[in-house]
Amino acid sequence: MQVTGDFQFEGPRLSVWALLNDPIVLARCTPGCEELTPDGPDRYQATVKIGLAAVKGTYTGVFRIADKQEPASTTQPATMTLQIEMSGSSGFVNVAGRMELADNGPVTRLHYDWDVQVGGPIAMVGQRVLAGVARWIIGDFFGAAGKELAARQQAG
Amino acid sequence: MKPARFDYYDPTSVDEVLALLQQYGDEAKLLAGGQSLIPILNMRLAKPAVLIDLNRVAGLAYIRELDSQLQIGALTRHAEVERSPLIATRQPLLAETVRQIGHSQIRNRGTIGGSLAHADPAAELPAVMVALDGTFCLRGPSGVREVPAGEFFLMYFTTCIRPDEILTEVRVPVLPPRTGYAFLELSRRHGDFALAGVACTLTLAADGTMADCRLGLTGVSMTPVRATAAEARLQEGRPEPGLFAEAAGLVRAAVAPESDVHGSAEYRRHLAGVLTERALATALQRASVLLETEQLETEGGREG
Repeated sequence: MQVTGDFQFEGPRLSVWALLNDPIVLARCTPGCEELTPDGPDRYQATVKIGLAAVKGTYTGVFRIADKQEPASTTQPATMTLQIEMSGSSGFVNVAGRMELADNGPVTRLHYDWDVQVGGPIAMVGQRVLAGVARWIIGDFFGAAGKELAARQQAG
Repeated sequence: MKPARFDYYDPTSVDEVLALLQQYGDEAKLLAGGQSLIPILNMRLAKPAVLIDLNRVAGLAYIRELDSQLQIGALTRHAEVERSPLIATRQPLLAETVRQIGHSQIRNRGTIGGSLAHADPAAELPAVMVALDGTFCLRGPSGVREVPAGEFFLMYFTTCIRPDEILTEVRVPVLPPRTGYAFLELSRRHGDFALAGVACTLTLAADGTMADCRLGLTGVSMTPVRATAAEARLQEGRPEPGLFAEAAGLVRAAVAPESDVHGSAEYRRHLAGVLTERALATALQRASVLLETEQLETEGGREG
């Protein structure tokens, strides 16, 4: 399923780009992320514990940042794709998360278009709420990233 | 399809349940009718270390009236609500709603408290609870906490019940005089989860103008939705089809459903509007009958 949306960061594109390429930030902002260890350039081994109410699962797999385009000119948007492939006892989650960062004065507008594939028992039972849950998790992720950016800006 | 290992407890009092929750907290799941919990246990999507079976707990299944409020024990089965003469006469919206939950086998086992605590985003009862401004009574180690329906549901399958608390009772006001009601939902097959559903009450003033109107929706969001904009518009108009169509438009504008294999977001939004309009028409019809009866009785009284 496609989950698309926009998020505004209160800071310049350069800072947002650095933020989203920082594994420590990725680990801190991903809901339920228990471990994110580098495993090659722009590649990480991850363990994420996530769930709703009684249905909780631990998923392990790979986080990758791919298709990085960071033009020097600020008139053109910078783009990257977050590739996530995780699996656990209750199913699997594959994500190709395209993100486009456009300079907009002092703020950065991020447009995201994530292709989220969920399979296994969790998809069978949770089909009705998958899209909503995916949107919620992605919103949480960007919300946390926005707070990280604010903290960095303040630290100067 | 067998659940993962768990320790089983079957306490006989709420105090015992609370002691177990104190001990195990998050590790424990409460089993009421089991109509939602058992499938996810069997599929091993949930693997609680401890299962606390509430079915032997005394004094949690009852329906009674106190000060124009109906009090329903959390362990009351849907079927008991469905057949209760008190519910039928004092809060018929609840009776109409409960009849649309699953199939009769599900209603024979499933409980009011279990369904509400499970907080399925397409469940029927949550829409009624928010429409009627119902109350949830949660018992914890420090006593009873009463939570209004508007604050109870937080997220898909998530409520404000804390790990050391148990839902013991729900309360709904009795329907006021001259009040019509309707619960309408649509699902692909009978007994399936609703694509969308609407709970509605409509109260006429003695002169036939609108006195109060409430709309609660299910299946269109992470939690049940109270259609406040539509209600406000309904409050200021004359109860007639034109106004109902306007209210349906406001409902469509206010909801943001998700797409899934059963129906697209656009279809669900459209459906929420259609069901709203139909529910309002049915509620008005029922309220009008009550108003006419009341007027006839008054006239009869005068003549006699």
